[in-house]
Amino acid sequence: MIAFQLKRSSRDLVGHTVLILFPLALIFFFDYLYKNVNIETGMGMGGQSPITALVIGFALTFQIYGSAISFETLAEDLYSPMHDRIFSSPVEMRSIILSILVSSTLVSFLQTAILLVFSSIILGASFPSLPFVLLVLLVSVVFNQLFGTVLLLLTGGVKTANMVTTIYGSIVPMTVGLYFPLPKGEFFRLLRMYGSPMSLANTASLAVMEGQIRLFIICLAVLLLLIAVLFFCLQPLIRRISI
Amino acid sequence: MLLQVDEVIKRFGSTLALDCCSMQVEEGEVIGLLGPNGAGKTTCIRSIIGLIPIDEGSITVFSQKQDGKNREIRRNIGYVTQEITIYEQMSGRDNLAFFASLYGMDKLSIANRIEEVAQIIGLEGRLDDKPKHYSGGMKRRLNIGCALIHSPRLIIMDEPTVGIDPQSRSFILRFVKQLARDGSTIIYTSHYIEEVEAVASRIYIMDNGHMIAQGTLPELIARIQGDHFIEVEVRIASEEKKLQLQQLPDVKEVALEGNRYRIVVPGGIPVLDKIVLILSEQGLVTINTKQPNLEDVFLTLTGKQLRDEVQS
Repeated sequence: MIAFQLKRSSRDLVGHTVLILFPLALIFFFDYLYKNVNIETGMGMGGQSPITALVIGFALTFQIYGSAISFETLAEDLYSPMHDRIFSSPVEMRSIILSILVSSTLVSFLQTAILLVFSSIILGASFPSLPFVLLVLLVSVVFNQLFGTVLLLLTGGVKTANMVTTIYGSIVPMTVGLYFPLPKGEFFRLLRMYGSPMSLANTASLAVMEGQIRLFIICLAVLLLLIAVLFFCLQPLIRRISI
Repeated sequence: MLLQVDEVIKRFGSTLALDCCSMQVEEGEVIGLLGPNGAGKTTCIRSIIGLIPIDEGSITVFSQKQDGKNREIRRNIGYVTQEITIYEQMSGRDNLAFFASLYGMDKLSIANRIEEVAQIIGLEGRLDDKPKHYSGGMKRRLNIGCALIHSPRLIIMDEPTVGIDPQSRSFILRFVKQLARDGSTIIYTSHYIEEVEAVASRIYIMDNGHMIAQGTLPELIARIQGDHFIEVEVRIASEEKKLQLQQLPDVKEVALEGNRYRIVVPGGIPVLDKIVLILSEQGLVTINTKQPNLEDVFLTLTGKQLRDEVQS
């Protein structure tokens, strides 16, 4: 079932192109700005080069939009006549939802990995402790896919889920300082580092690259906790739409 | 008994969708389920499959109680949905394999069965194409194939020929008849009376949530044998004249289809002169009396004409 869902998710070439090429274009643009104009990035990147911080920031941002991979696929199965076709079979709703979640997570993570590879080859971005960075990015993908799924099951419609993730994906990167520096002060420092799941993933990635293992573990643990919360929210929602 | 629906009641809020609905199906039968839009056919089917819970009554399928959670029942039902429910971006083969996997079939059985089903639905050679490149009829056939892939004991077809060309329709009817000859048990709902006449060994007529009649085609026609059916074609038909005809004391039913009035009158009562009098100003073209068919049974029992329902 997962193989079928993977094949199905991979067929959306336009979606993949947008989710890979658009962040790449933005990384190019901001990298150009940082190299040629005297402005600061607000990412709090410590010892990392701006391009590395940018790649992580945009990869995390587009993972939020990538949550549409799972909720749009799920909506096609749960909120259309396809529902009756699938659930006239003995398959459990949980299996369908999990198979879509797993395949969407893999596809979204692959998009992130491609972004990192391109940035590394073309723009010279470097990612120390790469396996741990990838781990954080994978955890972030899982969070976003689960978040989109819970949102869809909660609202019962793909439109609302799309709207919420679009707004969330537009505002949250600003609170991380991706597009412009945040004002100085403790509140904005905390907001940038821990204010949202994206901030936590960003902080964890930058921390592990700088060798701040404690900070990396704390942020990753909170992200995992959030995933657990979403997973527990998923159970009653699945029961609600099953008969 | 393969299926027994007993006095089932299903409400959606204040709407009574199934009103003491009963039905029995024996192994190997092809049941035609006829009814106008909103009669409750799809609700009845969804209840049988266990997709919606019922409020009262009971449903027994394959001698097991249908409570919506019985996976064994679902494993043995093939449901052809009214809408085309296939993945257009995936190949025909992928679609068939996916739906087979939902029934727990192993890879080898799936591969073998796909070839068999492809032959039944006439899609050999096109299985590796995506349905978005198929004609409407081919999509309908794949839609049916996905419901046959796991060799179900009971096949439920909800309007399987809606919106397709006559050639594809006759192809589908041919293979439904073949399935019936091979011993499959089928529940076939359709707006097209001639389809039900062609495939069904027994027919249920449904209206307002309950089964108002059931029997073989000759049995149903025998129920209205005493009635006469008069068809009057005029140049300009009107609803006003239809109402006037309905008000005649000896007229049982009147339906208007295009410029043609279809009138049911009790046998032996001379009413033709009154009908002609009312319609004479409309420009009479032809007047025919005819033997009753299933459409006349439907009209007599429900007061509705199925074809009008399709058009509305």
